[in-house]
Amino acid sequence: MTDGKAYRRDVLKAGGAAAALGVGGSGFLQTLVESEEDQPSTSGFESFVGQNDVVQTVCSPNCRGKCPIDVHVRDGQVKKIEPHPPEDEQYKRACVLGLSHTQRVYDPTRLKYPMKRADWSPDKPNPQGRGPDAEFERVSWDEALDLVADKMQSLKADHGAESVLFHEGSGNYGQSGKSFKRLASLFGATQSAWGIDTNVGRGFNRVTGVGAFLPPTNEAEDWENANTIIVWGSDIFSSQFQMDASKILDAIENGAKLVVVDPVYTTTASKADLWLPVEPGKDVHLALAMMHTVFEDETYDEDFLRKRTTAPALIRKDTGELLKASDVFEDGGENQVVAVERGSGSPVALEPETGGAYALFGEFTVDGVECETALTRLRDHVADYAPEKVAETTGVDAENIRTAIRWLATRGPGGIAPSYALGRYKHGHIFGQAYAMLMGMTGDYGRHGNIHAHHSGGATLAAGDWASPSDADPGPSLTFPEYPDAMIDGDPHKIRAVYSIESNMMGNQFPDRQRFREAIRSLEMYVVADMHHTDTVQHADIILPVPHWFEQEDISSGWGSHPHLGYRHKVQEPMWEAKDDYYAIRGLAERFGYGDRFPETKRDMLRKLAGRDDDIDFDTLFEQGTQKKESVPIVKYTDAFPTETGRIKMYDDDAPSEEGVTFDVPRPLEDRTADDYEQADEYPLMFMQKHSRFRIHSQYEMLNWVREINPEPQLDIHPKDAKARGIDDGEYVRVYNDRGEMVVKAKYNDAFQPGLVNTDQGWWSRDFVEGHLQDLTHNEVSEVGQTMAFYDVRVAVESAPDDVDTDKYGSDNPRGSGAKATPTGGD
Amino acid sequence: MTKHGLVIDQERCIGCQACAVSCKQENNVPMGQFWNRVLTEGGEKMDTPSGGYPEDGGSGSLDMQYQPTACQHCENAPCVKVCPVNATYTRDDGIVEIDYDKCIGCRYCMAACPYNARVFNWDEPEHMPEEGTGDVEARPQGVVEKCTFCSHRVDEGLDPACVVNCPADARIFGDLDDESSTVSKYIDKYETDQLLEDRGTDPNTYYISGEMSPGRPQTSDKMESELDDVSPWSDGDDDVPSKEADSAGGESSGSSHSVEGGEIPYATPAKSGGDD
Repeated sequence: MTDGKAYRRDVLKAGGAAAALGVGGSGFLQTLVESEEDQPSTSGFESFVGQNDVVQTVCSPNCRGKCPIDVHVRDGQVKKIEPHPPEDEQYKRACVLGLSHTQRVYDPTRLKYPMKRADWSPDKPNPQGRGPDAEFERVSWDEALDLVADKMQSLKADHGAESVLFHEGSGNYGQSGKSFKRLASLFGATQSAWGIDTNVGRGFNRVTGVGAFLPPTNEAEDWENANTIIVWGSDIFSSQFQMDASKILDAIENGAKLVVVDPVYTTTASKADLWLPVEPGKDVHLALAMMHTVFEDETYDEDFLRKRTTAPALIRKDTGELLKASDVFEDGGENQVVAVERGSGSPVALEPETGGAYALFGEFTVDGVECETALTRLRDHVADYAPEKVAETTGVDAENIRTAIRWLATRGPGGIAPSYALGRYKHGHIFGQAYAMLMGMTGDYGRHGNIHAHHSGGATLAAGDWASPSDADPGPSLTFPEYPDAMIDGDPHKIRAVYSIESNMMGNQFPDRQRFREAIRSLEMYVVADMHHTDTVQHADIILPVPHWFEQEDISSGWGSHPHLGYRHKVQEPMWEAKDDYYAIRGLAERFGYGDRFPETKRDMLRKLAGRDDDIDFDTLFEQGTQKKESVPIVKYTDAFPTETGRIKMYDDDAPSEEGVTFDVPRPLEDRTADDYEQADEYPLMFMQKHSRFRIHSQYEMLNWVREINPEPQLDIHPKDAKARGIDDGEYVRVYNDRGEMVVKAKYNDAFQPGLVNTDQGWWSRDFVEGHLQDLTHNEVSEVGQTMAFYDVRVAVESAPDDVDTDKYGSDNPRGSGAKATPTGGD
Repeated sequence: MTKHGLVIDQERCIGCQACAVSCKQENNVPMGQFWNRVLTEGGEKMDTPSGGYPEDGGSGSLDMQYQPTACQHCENAPCVKVCPVNATYTRDDGIVEIDYDKCIGCRYCMAACPYNARVFNWDEPEHMPEEGTGDVEARPQGVVEKCTFCSHRVDEGLDPACVVNCPADARIFGDLDDESSTVSKYIDKYETDQLLEDRGTDPNTYYISGEMSPGRPQTSDKMESELDDVSPWSDGDDDVPSKEADSAGGESSGSSHSVEGGEIPYATPAKSGGDD
């Protein structure tokens, strides 16, 4: 590390090593390897005894982990990854993927040079040339940035800046994204608004005033104080929390009860004291039955309900609106709600965080207006949801429903840890509303041992208005689900060019893949920056090669994780001509005339951003590698809720509605899981795409160590469903619906509920025998939830045609030929 | 004397495979081979349960547990006995190791090992990246290899890689001859099994099943004997139940475990000759 030149030479040796592992051929690899001469010869190492150098850095994908790691370098190569204990050592962690960067950093899918699609030019974009057969030619960085800048500026002149979309994914938890948004704001481009996994948080937010994705929850170190943990729709030990698994295990070891609500008998369910095998889409019914039980048992937390919720607030029977203090008192506030004091029977305006002898139940007439309390309304609403009554709907035994919620209501502090999966049903926001209220009833906010989401919040770098400077005139934003209509039909406005960073949007986590491909083919320019040759890159016009995280300096931050920020020190210089996103962003800014708004080097930018956060000292963070942000509260929800009343809403008189249903209280509404869904007979199986422990979205797909354990996409199917279709275990099957199909190997799995099938997500096109799992998903979203509903999908399954070619998983390819980067691997 | 041993708490193990892969990285284990496999106790394939999905809304009969399995470092190791050239031997500290210079590739040891813990380099070992990863002795084609308890780390006072990389705190390494060590205490206080106890191999690897232990909080990669505090992660006796109070533990048996059919070519039965 001390001798830059020698180091660089060593790094190039590694390139040769990658080349010797099967890189070669044409097509797919043209973006990677320019010519044979370009590959240094493979000079193998004589010995494994060499200079050891350990560089402390940070892993940075969207698992939220941000694990501090030590990268061991020997003879100029990354050789080993180990977890690095941060200042607060209990957050030492890493997972099977972070430990395997040793393979990722040298994988042949790494992009090497800026490239241009051979048949693309600014004036003749030839959109039909995009996709699997596209060929690319090498250009210099200056040429690439000139082409992009010129095209963006001509589009701006002809059609307005909003015709250019800046799309940012979740593939790199550093600070470049903020500068990407800054550039978009200054240019006036359309900016992307998140449309994935925002459903549950929206519902929770309606009740508590907080939550966008999953709501905040106590930091992981506090989880051992929980006495009951209801993990709902989450395989928490396999996805997003596995590096913190010890925290839940410690709670269990301390005597906590673990309940798992899931249609799948997951790894997490296998650790549970009680598993509730709910049917897909019936979660709101189940939550309402739990509320019913709490009312029936009278185990609600009366003090909490009076002090921190609107449970005692009066609802006007005439209008259905909450009675306001301004209706009752001359000086009453318009946002203040009113309760009745027991004993005196007088109306009282409710203040935030203030308890009193308020009546929780009852009907009252105040100044001639007939009212009832919000909790009375809720109790009447859930009267129809007795556990026995929902048992058949939900598929869950009534007594087990009671047991689960009795544990939470009576065993002291605890919580409900839902995952994003519930929001992957179209109307998943209703569950967010329901469990937020249920936890209000049990009083589980603001205490040690409370849990509200299946991963904790962690530390974020507060960078102020960097992404949207006050003098900029930012363009509109467009949610992900709106992309196709905007690109194809100009609704709400025409998108003509896209600049995409940190996103494999064409290969993963964007549903209805064929429709999105059509949308991309309607663009005049598609610029994609990435580390690897993903499916998305294969559809690009301009490819900007981004270095591996170990070759980019950054501050690892962003939402979600442990309470430290991490300094991502470079382990090695970027290989080939890969350059940090910040280089391209600043290069474009210079061409647009805003170069002076962006510090010259990445480190200058990082120093500047860190300077905006009072809790962080750049030099300390740089030197220590991690800095704990002491302002991150371990226990959340200790102050007044940011709602109009400062209280949790147990009734919402300003609730949205959709499909004729109003969400003043949680009301079940289903889409394709509904028993009477019109295509239920044609496509009888529900299809989900679980997050596995073997990939993070589509990242790490190429790890050969991991592919020895998990080599190919499979269809988890209950043997009963398989046998009914004449499907043998291990046979290739065709999974299809009216949007598309895929061919994968069937895996008999008794863990899956009959009627529900699954293919773990994150596989690239090259891994499927035919098609892709996103060919089956749809882009229809709830008006209220505005979130892609990946699991609200129906399919049919049959044996694959006899002539299907499954050679890529033949005995010669135990890890799948996809991992060998074959010439056809791009699509 | 020192006798190194490993305790694996199956109640804590979440089957994440971090131990399996970090073992490959640390020890430069060739592609296609595993020294340390995470087996599923349950269905026939990886990550599948035994039993049936509940039909009445109850919790049903599904059951699944993970059993990480590597060389058990047996006190009475059959592999040591059968090696005709004394290539496999037991160190003074209990670690069973192979002298690769002596190994003639006869694979008697593989036939003798009831745990299918050994792999044979039929071909020239392949690594990714090609130059390999681990800073350990190279093994050529034609020799048998297996878990060493990371003796190269142990010799430097560090716990094995699988132990320090376990995010579930499920693996505890230490001195079985030291009754104050965490491994000794856990073996004393929890329901522990050795795999295939009836074979008389007396493994130095123990499995906790039934009541969960506090595990081994991962705040250091040093061995317990190298730490200033004797046992910073053990709160003492009050938080561990007595063995008598707990009769839950399941029976462990190598033959009841399986991995996904043929997809992990670490050692096919035809070549390994393992007797389970």
